[in-house]
Amino acid sequence: MMGTNPGSREVDVSATVNGTQVTHRVPARLLLSDFIRDVVGLTGTHVGCEHGYCGACTVIVDGDAIRSCSTLAAQADGSTIRTVEDLATDGDLTPMQQAFHENHAMQCGFCTAGFLMTLESVDPDDYREPEQVVDLLSGNLCRCTGYQNIVNAVCSVWEVERD
Amino acid sequence: MKPAPFDYYRPATVEDALAALGTSETAKVLAGGQSLIPAMNFRLSQPDLLVDIGGVEGFDRLEVGPSGVMIGASVTQSRVMASDEVANTVPGLRRALHHVAHLQIRNRGTICGSIAHADPAAELPALAIACGATLFLQGPAGERTVDAGDFFLGPFWTELGEGELITGVHFPSEPADTVTFLDELAWRSGDFAITGLAGALATRGGSVSGARMVSFGVSGAPRRMTGAEQAVLGFSAGDDGSAVYGAAYDDGADAVDDVHATAEYRREALGALAVRSVRAALATNGNGTGV
Repeated sequence: MMGTNPGSREVDVSATVNGTQVTHRVPARLLLSDFIRDVVGLTGTHVGCEHGYCGACTVIVDGDAIRSCSTLAAQADGSTIRTVEDLATDGDLTPMQQAFHENHAMQCGFCTAGFLMTLESVDPDDYREPEQVVDLLSGNLCRCTGYQNIVNAVCSVWEVERD
Repeated sequence: MKPAPFDYYRPATVEDALAALGTSETAKVLAGGQSLIPAMNFRLSQPDLLVDIGGVEGFDRLEVGPSGVMIGASVTQSRVMASDEVANTVPGLRRALHHVAHLQIRNRGTICGSIAHADPAAELPALAIACGATLFLQGPAGERTVDAGDFFLGPFWTELGEGELITGVHFPSEPADTVTFLDELAWRSGDFAITGLAGALATRGGSVSGARMVSFGVSGAPRRMTGAEQAVLGFSAGDDGSAVYGAAYDDGADAVDDVHATAEYRREALGALAVRSVRAALATNGNGTGV
C-alpha cells in the first residue's frame, strides 16, 4: 500500500524581485515567467517559446541568467531575482541599453529583455573575442536583426574589436 | 504551454525523497528541470507529484580527489564547468560541457539530471560512457552502483527502477596518457547533436594504443563504436584516416532518419567526426595542450 503523497498543489513563494521583497501563495505548477509577469506584475520579461529554446524570458536568479519559462516559481523560493525593469534608473538607460538603441540592435523588441539580462549576468572580462560574444548570445533568438547589430552593440560597450 | 496540475514536494533528505517517490506511480524527480519542465509545458509529461531534490542534504557535493570527481545529484553543469580542479582531473568534462545547451540552461541543468533523462542526442550520457563513469543509485531496495556503459537502454530509458534516483556520478581521473574529447554536429551552437562522438584515446609513442569511442544522436541511445575502437589502434598523425572513417560509418549501421538528417548523412558525419576528433586528440597528447 502506498503512503500519503506529501506534496501540495499550492506553495508559498518569497523572493526579492528587483530589490523588493514579495511573498505570494501560488499554484505549484506556476512557471517563474508567469509569476514575474502575472503575479508580481512586471511585464518586461517576455514569454516566447515556453520550452527553453528562445531565451526571451531570461532573468537573473541569484546572479545567474536562467530561463524563467523552464523554472517553477516554487524553485525560486528564497531567491533574489532581477528583471529588465531593474536595469535603467529613473529613465536613464544602462550603457548596454544605450548601445542597443544606438546600434539599432532591436527591431520588434520582443527578444531584447532576454538579451539584456544574459549580458547583465556575465563578466565582460570573460568575453574578449567577437567569437566569444557570439557564442554567449547563442542562447537568445532574435528574428529581426540578423544579430549583427546586437553583436556590434555588445562589442562597442565591452570594447571588443570586430574585424 | 503550461504544466498540468501536480503536487510539489521539496524534501531535505534522500530518505524523505524516496518515501515520497514511493507514494505515486507517476512521480518525477525534479533536479534542474531543464528537460522535465519543457516536457511538462508541452504536457508530454504529466506527473502527479514532483519531488524537487534541489534541497536534499549532500546532493550538492562536488568533490575532487586522486581517484576522480564525485558529482552530487543537484550540482549544476555551470558549477562543474567553472571548477579548475575538475578540469585538471577530468578535462573531458569542461570540454564536453561547452557543447551542452546554453549558459542559461547550464546554470540550472544538472549533470546527473541529464544522465537520468537519457536523451539519445545528449552529450553527458555519451561522455559518462567514454570516461568509464560510475552511477550511484538509491531506491526502495537500497543503494547500488551501475557502470555508465550498462545504464542507457534506449531513448529516455535507463536502468533506473521504479522509485529509484541517481544520488551522484563519479568520473575517474583521466590517465596521463589519455585524452578525453567530445565533438558534434548541431544546427546551432548548444543545440542537441545531429551526430556526436565522445571518446577517450590512450597514446604511446605518437600513435593510438587504446580507445573508447561512443556515438550519440545517431541512434536510440549512446553506443560504443566497437569497429572504430579497433580500427583506430596504431593510428598516427600521418595516417589518411580512411580505415577509421569506414569503421565509424559501419558503427552507425542503426542510425535513424528524422527531420534533421537522414540515416546516411548521420553515418557519413560520424565517420568524419571520428577522423577529425582522433586527429585532434592525438595532436593534443603530442604537445600537451588542451583540445
